[in-house]
Amino acid sequence: MIHTFLLQVFLLLSLIIGITIPAFAGEPQEQLRQTTDKVLAILSDPALKSQNKVKERRELILKVVDERFDWEEMARRSLARHWAQRSPEEKQEFTHLFKELLERVYMDKVEGYSWNKIAYEGEHIDGDYAAVKVKVYTAKDQTIQVEYRTRKKGTQWFVYDFIIEGVGLVNNYRTQFNEIILKSSYQELVKRLKTKSTQN
Amino acid sequence: MKKYNIELAVGLFVLAGIFCLGYLSIKLGKMEIVGGKGYEIYATFSNSGGVKQGSNIVIAGVEVGRVKSISLENYQARIVLSLIQGVKIQEDAIASIKTKGLVGEKYIEITPGGSEKFISPGGRIRETQSSVDLEELISKLVFEKI
Repeated sequence: MIHTFLLQVFLLLSLIIGITIPAFAGEPQEQLRQTTDKVLAILSDPALKSQNKVKERRELILKVVDERFDWEEMARRSLARHWAQRSPEEKQEFTHLFKELLERVYMDKVEGYSWNKIAYEGEHIDGDYAAVKVKVYTAKDQTIQVEYRTRKKGTQWFVYDFIIEGVGLVNNYRTQFNEIILKSSYQELVKRLKTKSTQN
Repeated sequence: MKKYNIELAVGLFVLAGIFCLGYLSIKLGKMEIVGGKGYEIYATFSNSGGVKQGSNIVIAGVEVGRVKSISLENYQARIVLSLIQGVKIQEDAIASIKTKGLVGEKYIEITPGGSEKFISPGGRIRETQSSVDLEELISKLVFEKI
């Protein structure tokens, strides 16, 4: 009698533990923290600080960021309704151009960073999706709120959107791309992205 | 007999008046008597930013529904959106709280997504953006410049 009771308790416990382990709290936040720490380590590496190492440093940072960011998902969400109409080649090309655009916009900000510390303010997990809140304290004692939206693929959480001070990246580009495509065409959007990338 | 006729006319007139008042209050109050045709979905925002019950929900500037209720859930604002039938919302659509003009009323804008999956009645819009505090943003910009 007692044995069956113990067995039941044991089964119940293992069930609870079995359920909670895959949904281990802190996973998306931890993975994001690792990526950020790697980028910070590259930025503060004295061996990479000289002028002629700029390109090398950029490539190193990009490699780290690539592991955490799902560029295709970001591009897909930004193009929204127009994504389905594109051919696989066009999708690939667009993802590449979109990545280049983000690189141009954010690389300078990352490289010229002047923040004091980054505080991780918790996460909200909902199935395969999670939002991680981060607060960046700048050298001028201001705070910048950043929220990462991540999605789980296998054991890794990939960023597909981020929101800075309440302004979302995907939402911003979705509105802009939609306007350009409706006013002219998808080809025009690609042309604009290409000319922008050659300017740099 | 004549007196009776006058009383009947007055009674009918009063009844008509009450009916008009009722109609007006329903129209102006934007109430729905028989539930209305439509469906509900919900979204959680970290800040409702002044959206009220009855606030507009728009897609591309076209009204597609109204805010049914706002409540606090887990220290976040849970907003129930009542949408008109036939308007399908993709699973990756983004709901954001916006302001009409600089100081106008708040409304919720839905930016359609590209997913083939649609949110079923009672479902949730996962991607949300709370209202942007313009004043705060401007002050940040100003102080950054100095």
